[in-house]
Formats: sequence, structure tokens, C-alpha cells
Amino acid sequence: MNGTTRRQFLKVSATTSTGLATWLALDRAPAFAQKRELTFLSWNHFVPASDDELRRQAEVFSKQANCTVRVDTMAHLQMPAKVAAEAQSQSGHDMYRSAGADPFLYEHLHANLDDLVDKLGKQFGGWYPFAAEMNQTKSGWKGVPWFWVSFPGTYNQAHFKKAGFENPPKTWAELLSMGKALKKQGNPVGIPISHCSDAHSTYWSVAWSFGAKVLEADGKTPAINSDKTAHVLDWYKELYAEAMEPEVLSWDDAGNNRFLLSGKGSWIHNPVSPYNAALKEKMPIADDINHHNSPAGPAGAHSAPPILGMAVWKFSKNVELAKEFIQFLFKKENYDAWIVASNAFNHPPLRHLADHPIWARNPKFAMLPKEAEFGHPRGWPAKPSDAVQRIDDNYVMADMVAKVVNGMPPKRAMEWAQDQVARAIKGQLKVG
Amino acid sequence: MAVGQRAIEAAGLRHAPGRLERLRQWWEQEDVFGYGLILPALVLLTCLVAYPFGMAIYFSLSDYWVGSPGQFVGLANYREVLGNDVFRQTVQNSFVFTGIALTLKTVLGVWLAVLLARDIRFRRVLRGAVLLPWVIPTALSTLGWWWMFDSLYSVVNWTAIRLGIMSAPGPNWLGQSSYAMAAVIVVNIWRGLPFFAITVLAGLMSIPREFYEAAEVDGATSRQRFWHVTLPLLKPVLAVVILFSTIFTFSDFNIVQVLTRGGPVNSTHLFATLAYQIGLQGGNLGQGAAISLFLFPMLAMVVFLQLRYIRKD
Repeated sequence: MNGTTRRQFLKVSATTSTGLATWLALDRAPAFAQKRELTFLSWNHFVPASDDELRRQAEVFSKQANCTVRVDTMAHLQMPAKVAAEAQSQSGHDMYRSAGADPFLYEHLHANLDDLVDKLGKQFGGWYPFAAEMNQTKSGWKGVPWFWVSFPGTYNQAHFKKAGFENPPKTWAELLSMGKALKKQGNPVGIPISHCSDAHSTYWSVAWSFGAKVLEADGKTPAINSDKTAHVLDWYKELYAEAMEPEVLSWDDAGNNRFLLSGKGSWIHNPVSPYNAALKEKMPIADDINHHNSPAGPAGAHSAPPILGMAVWKFSKNVELAKEFIQFLFKKENYDAWIVASNAFNHPPLRHLADHPIWARNPKFAMLPKEAEFGHPRGWPAKPSDAVQRIDDNYVMADMVAKVVNGMPPKRAMEWAQDQVARAIKGQLKVG
Repeated sequence: MAVGQRAIEAAGLRHAPGRLERLRQWWEQEDVFGYGLILPALVLLTCLVAYPFGMAIYFSLSDYWVGSPGQFVGLANYREVLGNDVFRQTVQNSFVFTGIALTLKTVLGVWLAVLLARDIRFRRVLRGAVLLPWVIPTALSTLGWWWMFDSLYSVVNWTAIRLGIMSAPGPNWLGQSSYAMAAVIVVNIWRGLPFFAITVLAGLMSIPREFYEAAEVDGATSRQRFWHVTLPLLKPVLAVVILFSTIFTFSDFNIVQVLTRGGPVNSTHLFATLAYQIGLQGGNLGQGAAISLFLFPMLAMVVFLQLRYIRKD
């Protein structure tokens, strides 16, 4: 304490308090510490190299824009709860990876990105309609479509050849007949009928191919209880009994990947991740795995690819910076590098970015971009909405199918599902 | 000293007490000091228990959505939830899950405690080891179980098939309703058993040896000693342990969420997992809160009955 007089002490403490008070009042760091920080909440990508590339690009952007970009990633199943917590507390990250109907669920909490979407669309030949619809709400674009994930048939060529099939199935009916022979051979096919998101992706695809719907186009009328859905359920029941094994009832999203990679499974409906995993781990089975376009049905081919976006919270103090960052990620060289890092897993929602040579170069990927031609957002022909999201979240269709394969008459299962769909619509979020 | 002080005061020599002194005197009054001591706990309870509980009631009575305040809707959420057969199935699941898990935990817990109370070698190490399932974070240990029940790589099935107990391919643990329920119950028992065993063990240790000696002199067999000495004296401890375990088991979340996410066909959904699915994943906080609040009257009843039973004893 030697050398500090009372006067000096008072002077120092008064200066400090004034500085602190100003800082608190302005809600801003003092000038010497001021460096903008942009925070982005994303998922643990199924192809981790894709996240590495994203972080690398964030680093480059940080230097260019004289800011810090922090990319946090977490397991995809935990994202909804985290996003809900951020929405509820109106604090957290500046932007996040949105999925499903998030832009509709949090419509009033997302910043409007009309100008950015418009600019990117013009620059790269337009957005695919199914990707656009997932982000375009009544009050404007509440997210930028980031990428979609093709959902083709993924199969083991060797098993098919052994069973006498030169080509993979073109229709769901063919899958059923081939599957019967493949199961007899000891290589069943597999579609999850369980509480996981792959179960939805396939159900929507199969249902649309049979001409069945879950909702009418108005988005307010349940349409699941129909003859067409009954056909879908009959098909599932036969496939389950004669071409699959009961393990499909317990799968999580990685269950079908393990099934194919174990060498037991002959066919799954899944993105290219098993093939990429086999390549990365140098598994010999990589040579046998191939892909084909999602099968068609009496009403044509339809697909429900997962569509991911980037949304910016309205409460963020860095909305403009976030937009700059998104624009930076969509620079052709950056987006291309990101596609390469994901080894063709990330599909661009913009037409011109889809010309990337990676799909043409590998014959096993060549057919993937075609999936965009028959993709729809979940709920189609209804527009995406929080009710559709809730139908998926509550596993209504997976449970309906599970009830039927476990012996419940299809009519009763459809009535049950119809009631669940009606409840999802009734509880619909009212956006003011 | 007091006499001296009084004498000084009487002589009018003492100054009027200063502000600090008056504060000290006020603080040292028994009722003020007492409340002062419990204040931090009260603040914590208010912030962490009463406030969330009040909010949950408020949410359950409104059509509140994540991030968007809703309007008061009275009991509409409760009516909606009661009308949903997924919820009714969840109620049934919760009772089956809690009933079976609790019974087995009680029986096995007492049995394990009696074994641990014996003079055996490595007693301390064993007692420590028994606690392991209780100590490891549930989400992590349940992932281990998840692999053991995996449809393709189940070590349980593999071992049982090799031993000739099961025929290949063995049960699909997480894919068939009754097996899935059995699986989540087994993991809950595995996790909750140490709590029972160690608490009951503490109860056992407090039973005076003389009772056993007297019973032995009277010619009681070991079974009679257990039924007529150990069990009656363990009752108060057991009642408290069962009370706690009922609450923990009813409100379990992690095990079901990691193993089945409520599947197959909602046959393993518990209140907490269904409330999470509807309230957080689906964003309908009002209904989610209503579901989780159904736990409250049930648990309040359990607590009331058990506490009355303990007091009566």
C-alpha cells in the first residue's frame, strides 16, 4: 500500500467505475477489445471432413472481414432442443443450421434474408423449388437453403449378382420381388420402421410413389386414411415379412448403414454415407457398394431428401455479418471445395453449383443430381409447416407402419394415424 | 460482564450504540439470524425449483410455443393430452416400467446389501465397485448397453447363442415392444441398484448386533433372523429409499432416450421422453408442460402416502 494515497485510490477507482459503467451502458466492449465475433451452430456432419472444410473457410473469412467466426457443432439429434432453448431465451448463436420446418416454426424469430437469397439465386441459375419451399415463408425467406442430401437406393452389387439380378430395382414393386430372393440368399434388404428420421424420408418417398398423401394441398385436411395408403401399408407388410428382418424395427439413423457395411444387407434407402465410410476406412466392401435413383411407383418417382438451411436469429447483433459470411460460403470456389470435402454428400440447392465434376467423375455418384428433379419438401402437396414437422417429430408414419407389420389391420392403423395427423394440425402454431 | 455493563448503563456512562452496533444487535436476534441462514437455500429453491415449476404450470395452461408467448387456454392442453392414445400408452408404460423396476431394485438391493454386509475378502473394494453404475454418467453407460442390445452386434445374443441358451438370431431387444421394455427396465435396475444397496447397507450397519445374538440364542434360523429382525428394523430406511427411487424411476429420461427414443411404436415412452418429444422437438411447450405436470399429482400422492407411513412407524 506504500505510495498509494487516498486521493490516488479515489481517482483510479472513479475512472475504472466510469469506464465500466459506460461499457455496461453501451452494451459493447471497449474499443481496444472490439473485434466482432460471429457464432454459428451447426451439426456434426456425417462426413467429418466437411466440417473441417467449413472451419477452414470460416478462418479465411475471419481474416478477410476482421472478425472471429466460431463454428460450434453438435449431434444432429440434440439440435432441436438446443435451437428451441436459443429461441426461447432469445440468446445464443448468431446463426444456425436449420432443418425441416425450422424456418416456419421460428418464422418470427428469424431475420429476413430476401435480398441475399435473391442475389444468390440470380448468380447461380436459381434455386431448386423443393429447397426453396423449405425456407420461403409467408413473411419472406427465413433461411438460405444450404444443401440437400440425396436419398438414393444404396445396394451391394455382389449380393444382387449372386441372386441373379444384373440391375438394381427401378420400382418399389421390383424391390419387393428382388428382396424376397435376396432374403432367401441370406442378404435381406432394410428400411427402418422405427423412431429415426430415415424412417420418415423413406416413408414419404414410398407414399408419394404410390400416389398417397398425408395432408391435402391446403395443409389443413388430413389425407392419410385412403386406399392408396392402404396399398403402401400392404407393400410395407409384405416387404417386412418376406424381404426384411425384425431388426428394422429398432434402427436408429445409422442402423441401416451398419447393416449394409456388415456385409449382411443387400439394399438400403440412404444417402451415400455408407459408401463414403467404406472408402475412408478402406473397407473392401466399398467396391461392391453402388447407388441407383430412388425407385418409382405407380405414381412415378418421388423423393423427400433432407434439406438443410442456414438461418440467422433476429436477436443477433451480427445479422449483416452473418449474411456476408453466408455469401462467402456460397462463393463458387468455396462451395466447390466443400462439396469435394463431403465427397458428394452435400448437394447444392442452386442449379449452377450442381454442375460440379465430382458427380460426373465417379460413376457411382453420376445419378445423384437427378434426384433433385423429383424431390419435394415433407408434407407435399401441402406447403411445409410446423404441423408437418410435428407429424415427423412424433413418428406418426413410422408408428403406423410398425403397427401394421406387427399385425394391426391397416384400416385401424390408418385411423390411428389420421387422428394423430389431425392433432398435429389442430395444435398448429399461430404466427401473428 | 453483564452486571458490569448494566452498572455502566445505570451510571449513564455508556454512549448510545452506533449504527453498526445496532445492525449487529438486529442481526443477532434469533428469528432474524435464523431466517438469514436459510435465506440462501430459499433463494436457490425459489430460482431453481419454484420458478420453473410456476412457469411449467403457466405454460401448461397456455398455447405457448417455443419463442412465442401464447394465450391462456385453460385446461385445453390437458384435455388434448388425455385424449391422445400415445399419452395413455405412456401412462401405462410408466407404471409398468416403475412397478417392475422398483420391485426388482428393492428385492435385489436388499439382497446385495445383505451380501455386502458379510465379512468377505476385498469388502471395501467390492463396496466401491458396486457404486460404479451409479457414478458413471447415465448417457454414457447407456450407450454401452445400446451396443449390447444392438440388432446386429448384440453381445448378449452372441453369448447366449454360443452358450446354447438362445436360438439364432435371438430377440430383437430394441425392436419388439416387450423386449424393448425389458431392456430399458434392465438398464434402469442396473443403474439404480447401487443406490438401494449402499443405502440399505448403511441401514444394516446401524442394527445393533445384540438383536441378532439374542435371536440366535432363541434359536432363530438365518431366514427367521432376516424376516423378524433385519427387515422390521430396515423399514424406515427402505421406505425413504423406495420413495426416492419411485421419483427417479417415474421421471427417468436418459435411458429411454438413448436406447429407444420411446419406440418401438411408443411402447417405451415415459412422461419425460414424451414431454421432450412434443415440447422441445415439436416446439409445443404448452402440451409438453402439461405432460410433464401429470407426474406431479402422482408423485405428490406417493410422497404423501410414504411420508405418512414413515411417520406412523
